[in-house]
Amino acid sequence: MASAGSGDEKAATVTLISSDNEHFEVPEAVATLSQTIRHMIEDGCTDGGVPLPNVTGRILAKVLEYCNKHAAASDKDELEKFDKAFVDIDDQATLFDLVMAANYLDIRGMLDLTCQTIADMIKGKSVEEIRETFNIKNDFTPEEEAEIRRENQWAFDD
Amino acid sequence: MSHDGPGSSAGAGAGVDALSLDLLAHALAGVRDPRDRKSCRLASRAFARAEAASRRAARPLRREALPRVLRAFPALAALDLSACAGLDDASLAAALLPAPGGAELGVRRVRLARASGVGWRGLEALVGACPRLEAVDLSHCVAAGDREMAALAAAAGLRELVMDKCLGVTDVGLAKVAVGCPGLRRLSVKWCREISDIGIELLAKKCPDLRSIDISYLKVSNESLRSLSTLKKLEDIAMVGCLFIDDDGLQMLSAGNSLQSIDVSRCHHVTSQGLALLIDSQRFIQKINAGHSLHEIETCFLSKLSTIGETLTVLRLDGLEIFASNLQAIADSCKNLAEIGLSKCNGVTDDGIASLVVNCSYLRTIDVTCCHLLTNDALAAIAENCRMVECLRLESCPFINEKGLERIGTLCSNLKEIDLTDCRINDEALQHLTSCSELQILKLGLCSSISDKGLVYIGSNCAKLVELDLYRCSAITDEGLAALVRGCKKIRMLNLRYCTQITDAGLKHLSTLEELTNLEMRCLVRITGIGITSIAVGCPSLIELDLKRCYSVDDAGLWALSRYSQNLRQLTISYCQVTGLGLCHLLGTLRCLQDVKMVHLSWVSIEGFEIALRASCGRLKKLKLLGGLRSVLSPELLQMLQACGCRVRWLDKPLVYKG
Repeated sequence: MASAGSGDEKAATVTLISSDNEHFEVPEAVATLSQTIRHMIEDGCTDGGVPLPNVTGRILAKVLEYCNKHAAASDKDELEKFDKAFVDIDDQATLFDLVMAANYLDIRGMLDLTCQTIADMIKGKSVEEIRETFNIKNDFTPEEEAEIRRENQWAFDD
Repeated sequence: MSHDGPGSSAGAGAGVDALSLDLLAHALAGVRDPRDRKSCRLASRAFARAEAASRRAARPLRREALPRVLRAFPALAALDLSACAGLDDASLAAALLPAPGGAELGVRRVRLARASGVGWRGLEALVGACPRLEAVDLSHCVAAGDREMAALAAAAGLRELVMDKCLGVTDVGLAKVAVGCPGLRRLSVKWCREISDIGIELLAKKCPDLRSIDISYLKVSNESLRSLSTLKKLEDIAMVGCLFIDDDGLQMLSAGNSLQSIDVSRCHHVTSQGLALLIDSQRFIQKINAGHSLHEIETCFLSKLSTIGETLTVLRLDGLEIFASNLQAIADSCKNLAEIGLSKCNGVTDDGIASLVVNCSYLRTIDVTCCHLLTNDALAAIAENCRMVECLRLESCPFINEKGLERIGTLCSNLKEIDLTDCRINDEALQHLTSCSELQILKLGLCSSISDKGLVYIGSNCAKLVELDLYRCSAITDEGLAALVRGCKKIRMLNLRYCTQITDAGLKHLSTLEELTNLEMRCLVRITGIGITSIAVGCPSLIELDLKRCYSVDDAGLWALSRYSQNLRQLTISYCQVTGLGLCHLLGTLRCLQDVKMVHLSWVSIEGFEIALRASCGRLKKLKLLGGLRSVLSPELLQMLQACGCRVRWLDKPLVYKG
């Protein structure tokens, strides 16, 4: 298994390079929480660092926060507490960025966590409230909307 | 995992639009509540597409919707067709036809309970179109027989099959399924009385993975239990009302040791000894239901309970004679009990309950229906010791009154269901229950001292209430209903039978209950079409409506139902002032209506009945009519009804006005 990064042989590390050229040196054990990076390490193409053009430095830092915690800790309650705090974000844009980063880097746990957070934001809300929460425009034509309302009413339950 | 292209997460302002369809669908997959999902469908086109891509379960209400439901939701795994009005083989097969270039269906679970229009042709089409089919529920399709079983036997991956009340099924059909579906894990053949020991023997040989079996009410003998004892993985067996099984059979069952749940209720030849022997060999039993059997509780059984004291969580001994000493013995052995059933048990006293709950503090469900000796002291003991109690059944305990509920209200904040039918309680009881904010089901039938004041208490804090029974609480008026609906907006089932003071104004209040599905208003003599109209307009989810003896309801009310209550399935309009025209319109337009009771419609002529019933042909499944009509309705009509699978009950009752 090729290990990139500094010549320090004590713990193999890999360098991740964000889209805005920030460098993060990360132990392999942590970085391989991302299946994408794990495949790259296994294929031996991590010399000189792994460029991640889809992830900014700010988001990558947060992702690594998650990976660090989940690679180290084993206590279920501790991880649960961490996860809850991790997604307690005021800024929706960051949440969506994390979803996309988790998808791109193929970190299953983080993807499920951030997606469930979005689902939880929808719980109990009316249509108007959902649109307001996510700042969505109603792009239905009146006929389309009427059709969906009709279907909701009598086509199917559940 | 999908990799979308360089989706710009370039820092500022990534809105939800930045998420690809797959990612948004992944997020919406976590939205479980059906109402929330419907809201998502209306938010935007992207949300509607993502909702469709992530929807895993659907329950179509009309057969016209079926083709679309099957194609629009690629992730669909569970399909519930039990409410699909008018479903028959032709429409099912047509809907299942593969679209050109379309993917195969991933449906795994299909529910066809009471779908009496579906037969072997439809089932063949279903099995053919759904290669991943794992679970089928065909219960109460009374015409289903061996031909239908043959169709299901082609689903090689079938794991769960429920065939309760499929009266036509015999050993031959069961054999076909056993051979064709060797991976079967759960099977229920309740009431399929043509099945015998031979069928069960073959089943046990061919399906070694069986974990759960229900042979209730079959005429099988101990030999079936001998066959079933060979199943190494059998965990759960139900044999309610198996009159040909006795202690010898239970002894044969003892050959295995994997049982976790056993139901021998109503088995008149099973005694304490047989059950004790069975428990001896099974170390992991969690649930025992021996209601209405055992003749009497003997020490041999009670002492054996200590061997399973750690694992036993459910014990039902309904209908047996039980004394305080017995309850003490149970309490000493089984500290982990979560549910105890003592309904109709003679001999249960306050002392017995006290000794039980002192040791069994984890009890969540306590059923002491008709335990006539119990007083408020028993309730105090329960409240003190079982703080986590969720379900209390206290029907017909005449010495329990409102004082008994004081401690329950303060200490049992987890209470979700309480049945106080026929108890002598007044509004003060409801005042105590206000603090139970988790309350979902409240039954107050025959509690004639309950008045509007009580409803004010309930409305003030029990926001999760879903079911309320006020049968014969005749002091209730419109004001009480107003207070109720202000606080309890989630009510789905409401029984107001004989609450005769209620008028149209009260119904106007009820019309704000958007989730109302079942409404019983028998003998509400003051309500008219105006009240019915407000209900019809305001409660779009209405499925069942009982208007028997609402003498002032006329065509206008029924017209509103025809127009707005499109999901109505069950309707009782006996004694209402409806004419032939109104009836015809009603039966003609309500496409989901399946069950109608219309006895003593004095304003409908014979022609009126003829036209109205023809208008609904093909949809009605159950009909109740005055006996006298049998001889005057045309034979063609009666034949047509029968051919369409409609069962008619003829009632010979004299015309008497009440209320």
